[in-house]
Amino acid sequence: MADSIVTAENLVKRFDKLTAVDGVSFTIDEGEIFGFLGPNGAGKTTTISILSTYLEPTSGTATIDGFSVTGEAARVREIIGLVPQEIALYPTLTAIENLRFYGRMYNLGGAPLERRCREVLELVELWDRRDGRIDQFSGGMKRRINMGAGLLHHPRFLLLDEPTVGVDPQSREHIFDTIFKIRDSGTTILYTSHYMEEVELLCDNIAIMDKGRIVAAGTLKELLKLLGEGGVIELEISPPGCPVGLEEQVGAQTGVTSVRREEDRLLISSDNSARSLAPVMKVLEGRGCQVSNLELYTPNLEKLFIHLTGKELRE
Amino acid sequence: MRLPRKLWFVAAKDVLIIAKDRGAWMSLLVTPLLVIVVVSLALSPVYKGGTLHGTLLVTNHDTGSVGQQLVDAVAANPGVTIQAASNSESETLKQGSSTYAASLVIPADFSAKVQAGQSSQLQIYEDPNSTTSAPYLKGMINSAVNRFSAVEVAAKVAVTEALKQNPAAGAGAVAADATAAAGAQMSSQPIQVVSQPAAGAKELNTFDIETPGFAVMFLLFGVLNGAEGLLEERDRGTLGRLLVAPISKSAILGGKQFMVLALSITQITLLFAVGHFAFSMNTGNSRAGLALMVAVTAFTATAFGLLLAAVARTRRQAQAIGILTILLMSALGGSWWPLDIVPSFMQTLGHLTINAWALDGIKGLILHGKDFYDILPQAGVLFAYGSACFLIGIKMFKFQKA
Repeated sequence: MADSIVTAENLVKRFDKLTAVDGVSFTIDEGEIFGFLGPNGAGKTTTISILSTYLEPTSGTATIDGFSVTGEAARVREIIGLVPQEIALYPTLTAIENLRFYGRMYNLGGAPLERRCREVLELVELWDRRDGRIDQFSGGMKRRINMGAGLLHHPRFLLLDEPTVGVDPQSREHIFDTIFKIRDSGTTILYTSHYMEEVELLCDNIAIMDKGRIVAAGTLKELLKLLGEGGVIELEISPPGCPVGLEEQVGAQTGVTSVRREEDRLLISSDNSARSLAPVMKVLEGRGCQVSNLELYTPNLEKLFIHLTGKELRE
Repeated sequence: MRLPRKLWFVAAKDVLIIAKDRGAWMSLLVTPLLVIVVVSLALSPVYKGGTLHGTLLVTNHDTGSVGQQLVDAVAANPGVTIQAASNSESETLKQGSSTYAASLVIPADFSAKVQAGQSSQLQIYEDPNSTTSAPYLKGMINSAVNRFSAVEVAAKVAVTEALKQNPAAGAGAVAADATAAAGAQMSSQPIQVVSQPAAGAKELNTFDIETPGFAVMFLLFGVLNGAEGLLEERDRGTLGRLLVAPISKSAILGGKQFMVLALSITQITLLFAVGHFAFSMNTGNSRAGLALMVAVTAFTATAFGLLLAAVARTRRQAQAIGILTILLMSALGGSWWPLDIVPSFMQTLGHLTINAWALDGIKGLILHGKDFYDILPQAGVLFAYGSACFLIGIKMFKFQKA
């Protein structure tokens, strides 16, 4: 088992009356891609800001490679790379001028700096556009240079905050390829997104965030198991006052692993949803409940998020 | 004290950005130069005198020769053009609408009354919108009338004395001869006042007066660009990216402020250099004094820019507050007109501004021949002013986005 490079314990960040991060704890193993999945405002960027030393937590602790993000911020800054959500580049400078500047900030200079700029530009496949001004680049190209600027110093831990926002599918593929190459070179990555497909594709471990808290965490497989390995039956039932205790009776049917009731909806996880459907419907009929809508689906993160939070991921 | 290497990298990056920004060069150098040249050339007559001009509309009803002699005397002054009026033109100026700055109406009995020793009245109509030509023409008419009155008194004395010597001569004939002789003297000025610069003083050049004021004002606009640049870095996220890199906040801010300071010194030095070499602007007797004033003014302006960036929450807010403050400081502090023409309470108020202290020092060197030690008080006040702005700015500036 790989050692943890990042450890966060009970992180809290408050801005006046708003609690943006509310008791977040997690660990990230060396060499993995760890994903934060959640809607806008879930607390992903604030958590990244604390880990990158941009913000100090109101309470809680976090270490990166053993260095405290609060007490040893200068050491942490030397080993991390941040790719912020915004295009944090100088638009009137060229791609290579931007990289040279950020490289100097990380103590690179002379021939090593030039060599590293070339390597990074080749990695993001923009070496031939090195002398182009950033403000003349497409959104996807800007994102790739934005990512490159965070890689110049070979960071041990790279924080990628929604790096695909506003890019076309082709550029997105480029970015994914680059992320895998970075991971393969030994860099640990924290990736945030509100796109479940990206997190499913890229991340070894995933933490689902909502309202400043981690509501579930694990590998993709472990998370989907929360919905039942065989699938989910979602029913809209009426009248609203369907008998109390219905959940227990449904939960006792063949293959059903969990039942959750949200007003007029029943979310039933099952080892085999096709096999469980008939006995469940029989129970409902016997208790006088009408089914106005029925949906069967295989588990995915989108559904899991709804299951955990009661709302859509993109709300 | 050795400044951190990364401070220079931050400054060098900003220099590279500015070097590529043609708009910045326009606002830093081209616009100030154009404004200074236009204002200096336009106000040259006001400060230097002698080249004022105007056209006087004359309606001469006089049946004798004295009226014409008076008109000739006025016409003899530099810059005065006489235009004989038609009745309609004369009426137009009376009604307050004319292309002429002033009009003179000479009554029909002007010569007769003057020769008879009676009081006579000339009528002048002035265009109230003509703030320089009309007063100039009126002054020239009054001057001619005064001269005429003087020679007329002399003629009367001569007539009296002539009749005492030869009572047989007719009083009317002697008076007529005397008046004619007096008229002939009208155009000549027996006593003339000649003015010239005091020993050691150089001839006034309007660029000496206008360049420092506008240079200081545009310097402040230059640092406003710097303040906006700082806030733009914060908004764009590049400042945030630097904050999580191994570079101190002081090196980030120091690098950016160093660049603004260097640019400010370059800007004001180039404006003075162009003024000096292209328009013969006086730079005073103390180059060291001028260099000190340029440096300390640029420092204070830079600190003012930092304070502005600290006070404003957004770039647009900095722009709005900055423009208002700079225009107010320029008006109060003597960038647009000399402070010695404003009321004393306005002069006191003006000395709350950077402009007033900077201009006291710079103009002291350029216009009043002061030396290095004379301007140390102004430089000291400016340095204290700048230091206060700098400390408050550093304390208040928020590196992170709200």
